Amino acid sequence: MSARELLPTATGRDTARLAWTLVRRRPGAVWLTLLAFVGAGAAGVVPVWLIGQVVDAAFGEDASTGTVVRAALGIAVSAVVWGALTAVAIAALTRAVAPALATLREDVLDRALHLPSQRVEAAGVGDVVARVGDDVRTLTESLDEAVPALLTALVTIVFTVGGLFGLDWRLGVAGLASAPAYVLAVRWYLPLSLPWYQRERIAEGERAQALVTGMQGAATLRAFGREDRALAAIDRSSRGAVEITVGVYRLLTRFGARLNGSELLGLTAVLLAGFWTVRAGGTVGEATAAALFFHRLFNPIGAVVHTFDTVQSSGAALARLAGVAGLPVAPAPAQAPAEGDLTLAGLRHAYEPGHDVLADVSLVLAAGERVAVVGATGAGKSTLGAVVAGAVSPTAGRVHLGAWELTAAAEADVRRRVALVTQEVHVFAGSVRDNLGLAAPDAPDDALLEALDRVGARRWVGALPTGLDTVVGEHGHPLTAAQAQQLALARVLLRDPVLVVLDEATAEAGSAGARDLDAATDAVVAGRTALVVAHRLDQARAADRVLVMEAGRVVEQGPHDDLLTAGGRYAALWAAWSR
Amino acid sequence: MSGAVATPTTGLGILRRAVCRHRRVLAYGFPLLAAWQVCETLVPAAIGLVIDRGVATGSVGGLVLGLAALIAVFAVLSNGYRFGSRFVVRGIEEEGHLLRTELAAHLLDPRGVRTPLLSGETLSLATSDATLVPMVFRQLGFAVAATAGLVVAATYVLLVDVRVGLLVLLGVPAVVAIVQLVSPVVARRTHTQQERTAAASGLAGDLLSGLRALKGIGGEDVAARRYAGASADARDATIRLARSWGALDGLTLALSGLLLAAVTLLAGLRALDGDISVGELVALVGITQFLAEPLTALGSLSAQFARSRASAQRIADLLAAPPLLPSGDATPVGDLRLDGVVADPLAGLDLAPGDGELVAVAVEDPDSAEALGAVLSALRPTEQGAATLGDVPLAEVDARHRRAHLLVAPHHATVFEGTLRSAVDPGSELSAERLEEVLAASAADEVVSLHPDGLERAVRAAGTSLSGGQRQRLALARALAADPPVLVLQDPTSAVDAVTEQNVADGVRRVRAGRTTIVLTTSPALLAAADRVLLVREGRVVAEGSHADLLGESAYVEVVLR
Repeated sequence: MSARELLPTATGRDTARLAWTLVRRRPGAVWLTLLAFVGAGAAGVVPVWLIGQVVDAAFGEDASTGTVVRAALGIAVSAVVWGALTAVAIAALTRAVAPALATLREDVLDRALHLPSQRVEAAGVGDVVARVGDDVRTLTESLDEAVPALLTALVTIVFTVGGLFGLDWRLGVAGLASAPAYVLAVRWYLPLSLPWYQRERIAEGERAQALVTGMQGAATLRAFGREDRALAAIDRSSRGAVEITVGVYRLLTRFGARLNGSELLGLTAVLLAGFWTVRAGGTVGEATAAALFFHRLFNPIGAVVHTFDTVQSSGAALARLAGVAGLPVAPAPAQAPAEGDLTLAGLRHAYEPGHDVLADVSLVLAAGERVAVVGATGAGKSTLGAVVAGAVSPTAGRVHLGAWELTAAAEADVRRRVALVTQEVHVFAGSVRDNLGLAAPDAPDDALLEALDRVGARRWVGALPTGLDTVVGEHGHPLTAAQAQQLALARVLLRDPVLVVLDEATAEAGSAGARDLDAATDAVVAGRTALVVAHRLDQARAADRVLVMEAGRVVEQGPHDDLLTAGGRYAALWAAWSR
Repeated sequence: MSGAVATPTTGLGILRRAVCRHRRVLAYGFPLLAAWQVCETLVPAAIGLVIDRGVATGSVGGLVLGLAALIAVFAVLSNGYRFGSRFVVRGIEEEGHLLRTELAAHLLDPRGVRTPLLSGETLSLATSDATLVPMVFRQLGFAVAATAGLVVAATYVLLVDVRVGLLVLLGVPAVVAIVQLVSPVVARRTHTQQERTAAASGLAGDLLSGLRALKGIGGEDVAARRYAGASADARDATIRLARSWGALDGLTLALSGLLLAAVTLLAGLRALDGDISVGELVALVGITQFLAEPLTALGSLSAQFARSRASAQRIADLLAAPPLLPSGDATPVGDLRLDGVVADPLAGLDLAPGDGELVAVAVEDPDSAEALGAVLSALRPTEQGAATLGDVPLAEVDARHRRAHLLVAPHHATVFEGTLRSAVDPGSELSAERLEEVLAASAADEVVSLHPDGLERAVRAAGTSLSGGQRQRLALARALAADPPVLVLQDPTSAVDAVTEQNVADGVRRVRAGRTTIVLTTSPALLAAADRVLLVREGRVVAEGSHADLLGESAYVEVVLR
C-alpha cells in the first residue's frame, strides 16, 4: 500500500483554540447546559442526605414519623427536579454541540472542495469523508457521553465530599484516602492505552481502504476474476482491526479492575472511620450516610476517570477536523476586467523536481481563437491545459488574459473566466437540474433547457422519466458516458466563461459517442478562446491552429492544412488517423 | 461462509443467527455479567451488614466479618465484569468481522449484486452497520445482568421485609413499562437521524469524487452550499433526537427517584415501628437507590435494540439483493454466438466469431454499443434470440466458467492502487517476456518509460496519478495479460493518439493470434487490423467484410470516416 499524503492535522494549541471558538458561538445553550447539569447533580445528591436523616429519625433519640414523611417527600420532589433538569440539560447540550459540529464539518468540506484536486486525490477522498463523517460522529458520541457524565459527576463529587466533611471531618478524610489509588490507576492506564488507540485508528483506516478498493473496483475485479485477492485483503485488514480492538478492551478491563480496587479501598476506609467516630460519640446515621455517600461516588468517579480516555480519542478527531477547517478560506473573487489575447510566457512545470513536464512554452492565443493540442502521451498536453485553466500553478512562467495575470489570481477569480472540462466524467448524484445547477444555481429552466439543446442533450433529457427532475448519478437513472459529458459541456455554457479548456473531453465517451460530442464541442467553443487537447484529429482539423507537443515543448504549430503541407509530425499523425 | 445454511432475509433473522453462532462465548459471558450485576446490587447489603454487625454494635469481630463479606462481593463483581465483558466483546468483534467479510463476499460475488446503494453506502453497511448488529450481544448481556440484579434485589428486599419487597416488585416493572412509552419515539428519531447523517456523508463523498469536474466550472461554492443544506438537515434531526433521549433519561431518573421516595417512606415507618434494623434500612434504601442504574439500562435497551435491528435489516436487504448476472451450472466448451439478439436498441443482431478470429464491430450509435457490451457480459438478458457459449445460453453458464472463457473488459476499467506492474499483472503470474509483450502491444511500455521508477512506479488509488490515456493503456495491457479464450474489448483506444492507435491495433492482432477477439470500435486502425468487420446500424448487422471491402459502402464510410 503506497503512502497516502493525508491532509493536515492541527496542533494541540490550534485544536484547543478551535474548540474554544465553537464553545463561545452559542453561549446561551452552553450556560443552560452547565446550569441544568449542575442543578441535576445537586438534585441527585439530596436523597442521600435525606436518607441519613431518616436513619437518624428512626434510630435516634427523637424518633418521629414527621421527619420520615418529610424526608420521603423531599426525595420525591428532588427526583422530579432531577429528571426534569436532566431532560433539559441533555437537550441543551445537543443544541450547543450539534450546530457547532455541523458548522465545523461544513467548513471542512468547504476547505477540501477549494483545495487543488490533486491534493485531495493524493490524500484520498476517503480521508475527507472520514473526517466529515466518522470524526464528527466520534466527537458527537463522546461529547454526548462525556459532558453529562463529567458535569454531573463533578457536581456529585463536590456535593458528596462536602457532605462527607459536613457529617464529620474524619469521614471526609477517610473518603479522600482513596484518591491516590485512583490517580495511580489513571497514570498506569493512559500512557499504555495511547499507542493502542493510535494503532486501532490506523487499522480501521486500512480496513476502510480495503473495502473501498473492493467495492469501487467490483466491476473490474469481477470481469477479471480477481475477487479472491480483494476479499483476502478485506479479511486480513478486518481481522487485524478485530485483534486490536479486543486488545484495547482487555487493557480497559484491567483498568476497570484497578478502579474497583480503589472503590473498595475508599469504602473500607469510610466504614472503618465510621466505626471509630461512632465509638467517639458520632451517630450511626452519620456513619451510614457517609458509607452511602461514598457508594454513590463510584459511578461519578468512574465517569471522570473515563473522561480522560474520551478526551484522548475525541481530541484526535477534533484535531483532524481543525487541521482542514483551519486551512485558509478561498478569497472572494476580485472584479478585474479580463478580455483579450491569452499570452503564455516561458511556462515550465515539474511535478517532481528535475522532471520537467512543460519545458519553456511561450504562445499567444488571439481572443476567440480555437487552438488544438496534439502529441504523444507524456508530451505535456494535459499539464499545459491545467496550467492555462489555473488548476496547476506552473513552476515558472506566466499566463495573462489581456492585462490580467491569471497565474497570480485567486482560483475563484480564474474560474469566473476559465472553464476546464477533462475526460474524468462524473455524474453527480442528484437530479439533472442539480447537475447543471452546480454551474449556475439560479438559472431558470428555460436557460437549462437551452444549454441542453445546444449540446444536443435536450432530446434525451426530455425522454427521461421526469425530465430535468430525473435523478441521475450513482443512485439514479444510468447515463452513457457521452450523455454524462454532454451535461458537463452544458455546465460550461451556463457558466459562460471567456476561455475554455477541453482536455480529451470526448475520449471516455467511446468512438461512437465521441461523434455526438463533436457538435456539442463546437457549441461550447463558439465565441470563446479555446484550448482543445485532443486525440481525435477531426477536433484538430476544426481548430484555427494546431500545436504539436513533444517532451514538454511545442514542436510544430500552424493551421491544419499548412501542417499537412509541411509534412512533419502532424502530417504523419494525420496519415495514421485518416487511413 | 454461511455454507449450506440459508442466509437470513430479515433483520431479526440476522440477529438470531448472530446469537446462535456465538452462543459459546455468550454462554460464558452472560452468567459472568449477571454475577457482576448481582454483586453490585449486594454492595449496599454488605454495607448494611458492616453497619449492623460492626459500626452499630462496636464489635470488632462483627466489623471484620462484614468487611470480609464486602471484599468477597467486590472480588466477584470486579472479575465478573472484567471477564464477562471480555467474552461479550470478543463475540461482538468476531460477529462484526463475519458480517463484514460476508458482505464483501456478496458484493464481490462472481455474479455481482444488483443494488441501488451508492458505494459510500455499501461501505457504511460494512463498517458501521456491521458494528451495530453485534451490539445486540451487549444489549442482551446487560439485559440478562440487569434482570438478575433486579431479581436478586427484589428477593433480598422480600426476605428483609415483605411489604417493602412487594413495593419494589410492583414499582420496578411499572417504571420499566412507563419508560417504554417514550422509547418508540427515540427509535424513530434515531432512524431519521442515521439516515440524514448518512445522506450528508454520501453527498460529501460524491462531490469529492467529482472534484475535477466541479473545479472545472468553479462549482465549489454551490457544492459547499448544497452540502451545508444536507448537514443542517442532519443537525436538526440530531437535536430532535437529543430532545427525546433527554426525555427518556429524565423520565427514568424521576420515576426511579419516586420509587426511592416510596421505599424510604415505607422502610422508615417500618424502622420506626422497630420491625427492621438500621442495617436493613440502609440496605433497603441503598438497593433501591442503586436500582436506577439497571433501570436506566433496561429503559434504553429497546431503543438500542431497534437501532441494531434496523442495521440488521439493511444488511439482510443487501444480502438478499439479486445477483447482477445470471449463473447456471453448465460448463460448456465452444464458440461464442449471438443469434438474432433483441435487447433494445439491438434488433436482431447476429455475431459469430470463428475460432481464433479477430472480429471488429463498428456500431453507429452509442446506445447500441453499450447494449451489445451488456449482452456479451450477460448483464442484460436478451428479449428475443440467444447469446450462447458452446450452444448454452450465457445466462445458464456457470459465472466462474463464463468469465474464465469470456472476458468482457469493461470500458471504464478501474486501475488499482499499487505499482504499474501490479496494475497489469496483479497476480505476478507473467514471465518477463510475456509482460514485455503485452506492454508493447497495448503501448503501455511508453507509460512505463515515462518515469525513472519504470514498472515500480507507484499508482494512486483509482489510478488518479495517471492520465486517462495512460489508464486506458494499462487496462488494455491487463486484459491482454489475462489471455482468455474469448476477449471482448470496448473502444480500447478512445484516449490514445492516432500513431499509438496503429501500434495498438498491430499489437492486439499479434498478441491475440490464435485466440478469439471481438473489438467494439470505429477506429479505422483497429478495423483495418481485423479479420472481419461487422457494421451495426439500427441494432442489427447491415454489412460484413474486410475494412477495405466495406470502404466501398457509403453507410460504413459514414460511421468510420473521421
